[in-house]
Amino acid sequence: MRRVHFLTAILSAALLTSLASAQTLTVGLDADPPKLDPALSTALVDRQVMNQIFDKLLDLDVNLKVIPALATSWKVTNGGLTYTFKIKSGVKFSDGTPLDAAAVKYGLDRNRTLEGSARKNELSSVKDVKVIDAQTVQLSLSQPYGPLLAVLTDRAGMIVSPTAARKAGTDFQNNPVGSGPFTFTSRVRQDNITLSANKNYWGGVPKIDKLVYRPFPDGDVRYANLLSGAVQAITPIDPKDVSKLTENAKFSVLNYPGIGFQGVWFNVTRAPFNNKNFRQAVAATIDREAIAKSIFYDTVTPAAGPFPPGTAAASSSIKVQKPDIALAKQKLGGKPLNFTLLTSPGSINTQMAQVYQAMFAQAGINAKIEQVEFGTLLDRADKQDYDALMLGWSGRPDPDGNIYDFFVTGGTNNQAGYSNKTVDSLLAKARAQNAMSARVATYNVALGTIINDTPYTWVYFQRNLVASVKGMVGLKPIPDGILRFKDVDLK
Amino acid sequence: MTTTLSKPPSAAKRRLPAPVRRFLGNKLAVIGIIVLVIFAGAALLARQVAPFDPAQIFFADLRAAPSAAHFFGADELGRDIFSRVVYGARVSLSAGLISVTLALVFGGSIGLIAGYIGGWLDDVLMRFVDALLSLPFLVLAIALAAILGPSLQNTMIAIAIVTAPAFARITRGEVLSQRERDYVQAAQALGAGDGRLIVRHLLPNISGALIVQTSLAIANAILAEASLSFLGLGIQPPTPSWGSMLNAARGYLTDAPWMALFPGLAIFLAVLAFNLIGDGLREALDPRSHKS
Amino acid sequence: MAVFALRRLLSAIPTLLIVTLIVFAMVKLLPGDPARLILGQEATPQALSELRRSLGLDRPLPQQYLSWLTSAARLDFGTSLTDHSSVGRLIAQKLPVTLELSLFAMLISLLISLPAGMISAVRRSTWVDRLLTLLALSGISLPNFFLGILLIYLFSIRLAWIPASGYTSLMENPGRNLLLLLLPAVTLGVGSAAVLTRYLRSSLSETLNQDYVRTAHAKGLAARQVISKHALKNALIPFLTAFGLQLGGLLGGAVITEQIFSIPGFGRLLVDAVFTRDLPVIQGVVLVSAVAVFLVSFLVDLGYAAVDPRIRYH
Repeated sequence: MRRVHFLTAILSAALLTSLASAQTLTVGLDADPPKLDPALSTALVDRQVMNQIFDKLLDLDVNLKVIPALATSWKVTNGGLTYTFKIKSGVKFSDGTPLDAAAVKYGLDRNRTLEGSARKNELSSVKDVKVIDAQTVQLSLSQPYGPLLAVLTDRAGMIVSPTAARKAGTDFQNNPVGSGPFTFTSRVRQDNITLSANKNYWGGVPKIDKLVYRPFPDGDVRYANLLSGAVQAITPIDPKDVSKLTENAKFSVLNYPGIGFQGVWFNVTRAPFNNKNFRQAVAATIDREAIAKSIFYDTVTPAAGPFPPGTAAASSSIKVQKPDIALAKQKLGGKPLNFTLLTSPGSINTQMAQVYQAMFAQAGINAKIEQVEFGTLLDRADKQDYDALMLGWSGRPDPDGNIYDFFVTGGTNNQAGYSNKTVDSLLAKARAQNAMSARVATYNVALGTIINDTPYTWVYFQRNLVASVKGMVGLKPIPDGILRFKDVDLK
Repeated sequence: MTTTLSKPPSAAKRRLPAPVRRFLGNKLAVIGIIVLVIFAGAALLARQVAPFDPAQIFFADLRAAPSAAHFFGADELGRDIFSRVVYGARVSLSAGLISVTLALVFGGSIGLIAGYIGGWLDDVLMRFVDALLSLPFLVLAIALAAILGPSLQNTMIAIAIVTAPAFARITRGEVLSQRERDYVQAAQALGAGDGRLIVRHLLPNISGALIVQTSLAIANAILAEASLSFLGLGIQPPTPSWGSMLNAARGYLTDAPWMALFPGLAIFLAVLAFNLIGDGLREALDPRSHKS
Repeated sequence: MAVFALRRLLSAIPTLLIVTLIVFAMVKLLPGDPARLILGQEATPQALSELRRSLGLDRPLPQQYLSWLTSAARLDFGTSLTDHSSVGRLIAQKLPVTLELSLFAMLISLLISLPAGMISAVRRSTWVDRLLTLLALSGISLPNFFLGILLIYLFSIRLAWIPASGYTSLMENPGRNLLLLLLPAVTLGVGSAAVLTRYLRSSLSETLNQDYVRTAHAKGLAARQVISKHALKNALIPFLTAFGLQLGGLLGGAVITEQIFSIPGFGRLLVDAVFTRDLPVIQGVVLVSAVAVFLVSFLVDLGYAAVDPRIRYH
């Protein structure tokens, strides 16, 4: 009898150890996340890591619909001025403190008011956050703001541990504490960030025990590390490597739509692009299909407006212009056009700039390329100290995030200096409307004017490219490009 | 009776001066000259030599292998590499020549003044020169290129600033060693003014060292321009620079290794040419290396 | 000797101060607003001015210089603008990597230049010497980034013997560490080897022509003995000083080599910082490089004076 017990003990121990053999997944990113703090973060790559450490009030599904996360349900009342959220009960942060309405209030207030917070703009409509009871939070807005729910699916809706945040102050980013599926274990700058599975996660313990992020700014190096097995997943993939990975039986490739766009801004406040004909001429020379094929190996989609296919406001009525050199020449009206095209370094940017230059030249337009550091580029864009510049947008789930700040007079992303009263009122109207169909109709009207005025010309929509070893399952292709590892397993 | 030497008229017509003969007898140096002439020819006659416009994009020829249509193949945007290498010679040679000329004029002047006048001026100037020499060549060039902004002109200025201290040091050293010589003392005793002394007596005697240094400095300058362009701090696209072509080629080594091979060889040969010439000049002008 | 050293040190300090002034001025002249760079596309004017204030960018320049200098003297180089960690700690993490690479490169350089230089000097003016001279000049002329790319193409892509890039620390896995550093070290060391070969050749052949060597020959000592006992020892001193002075060149070469082979070292830190306008990092790296080179040349000067008494009594 004792022998059977003994044998069972050994067998179960063996079984348990094999189950407990740590599953480590290493992911290759294109940059080292600078700040793992939802309030201070300005780089998108931060979000990849923060989405594992922190829970958000709301999240997105594959169709970009807003779904519950920490907030189990919500009510929008008072003509869009009051939002009431019910918070899931029994959730704890990884430091043991409870996540209740007070914690949610702390997190939201911190995002709204912390010195240096980059969330102030997107939460500017929130006037006040109130705790109704332990599981209920109420937001009061100063004016209706349709995109609020979408905003809360990103960094603005990430809830940090008040105890940890109060104690650490601005140093919180070096030891972030949240309630998410993984907890922060350690990091070595420019080398790795290591997360461990949260054994007490309310959504179920992740099957991955250890999640490691490593930065590889060089696409070739990232690719090489995937091949060598040093990492099991990479994002993004250099366009030229996508077909090699698709043909490789050891790896699977996810190539799915994103929510951002890329194109060229025109400075409408001074010559030469204060002349609408010149702007239209330049836009007419661009062969979007050729660019998608030659530089991007068809891993991007040609674009004509700010809303990528598959997003709520995408409209089939906005068609991609085919290049029309004759039209361009006609718009020029025989006048010479010389200008400087500003861009930032990087092999893709360099190739794009040279291709643009060659395309413009076909209509006799003479562009000079100037490469400046990204920060300088943004600086000069702000000051409207440029002729034309190459700049895109990573995209936001709500259509407002892809259009409002870009074309409204004085908008923070309105690099062209564009100002049109009708467009202003249309965009403001769309922002206050709650029904998406109504908003889309309003956007289409506004876009009619914007596309004709051409302060910006859209060239392509970037897609999300993720490569992983064949054994990795459970990754959902959610268009915001964030890899959510709570349901992922390595077979 | 003048203090300068002159050859008997009959000898001057029949034979070249000894240093020139020594130089021309050095096979490696002559090879250097030949290579230099080829590159200079390519640079000056680029429009005639290059079959295509270096910025012309051929979407049909992306990363094409070398062939009759494209001697050196085509790059990631389908541009002809041979044409780009030929036009790149312009960039490299002009960067080398102009930056070194600037360095020679400014650095040499500083060294001349410091060595000739001496005293506290010498001290101050040389401290500044030493400070610049403490900063590693490429590190300083990178920082300068970043400050001034990426462009060919600014690259030349950055390289000139980094190269000038060496010229200052050498000029000063030569002036110091020549200053005590008999002929200088004699000329001074005869009442020669400073300007005359410098131009007619000192300069001809230190020019040998400066000529050698110039050739070697050009070699370094070409390498520096290529390095800066390689890092993305130099020439702006689409003007081809051998360094930036090499940088772009890095991502395509498996698919299109010719994108790296030809610009790299071009840099190598151009720099080697100037090094061979400089070496040959040094051996020709330095009487000590004359084999007895 | 101690007096000499002290005098030299005192006269070196003004130069060092000028170096710090140059470094500070250079970085301040960099165009672009660091606050804008940090906040990126999410910036609002309010956030920008808040950040500028917290970075101390609105104080008068001389004050910024002095506070930077006094902190640097305490080895506090400030905080990196891009990732908020201490610049001193970044340098402390990355410098050893570059040092290891440089040491490895110098070893390779010695392994090549000592025999090559000796053979060249002894067999001067023969075809062997001419060939070695040509090879040495080729080594100097070959851009190290081209050599690196060639090595990657040959050994990583064609032969697949060595991975193309990456770095494992010595502590973690010495075997892999040395394997991954092999190609970079060769890339970095070849240029240095070429310079040193020529240096050794000229200084050794000069020594070989000296009277005391001829005397040794005349006395009947075997050639090899003459070379090793007398000539080499005397030629070695200028050779070693040249060797020490290679440090500046190695640091510059490391910048490019680390870029090609993706090695997280000191040189890479500088290039990344230049592209992100991370001023404190640029200042720290350039200052540390300058001080290192300065120290080495100072020590070389002292060493030379210690060995050759004539220099001390100028």
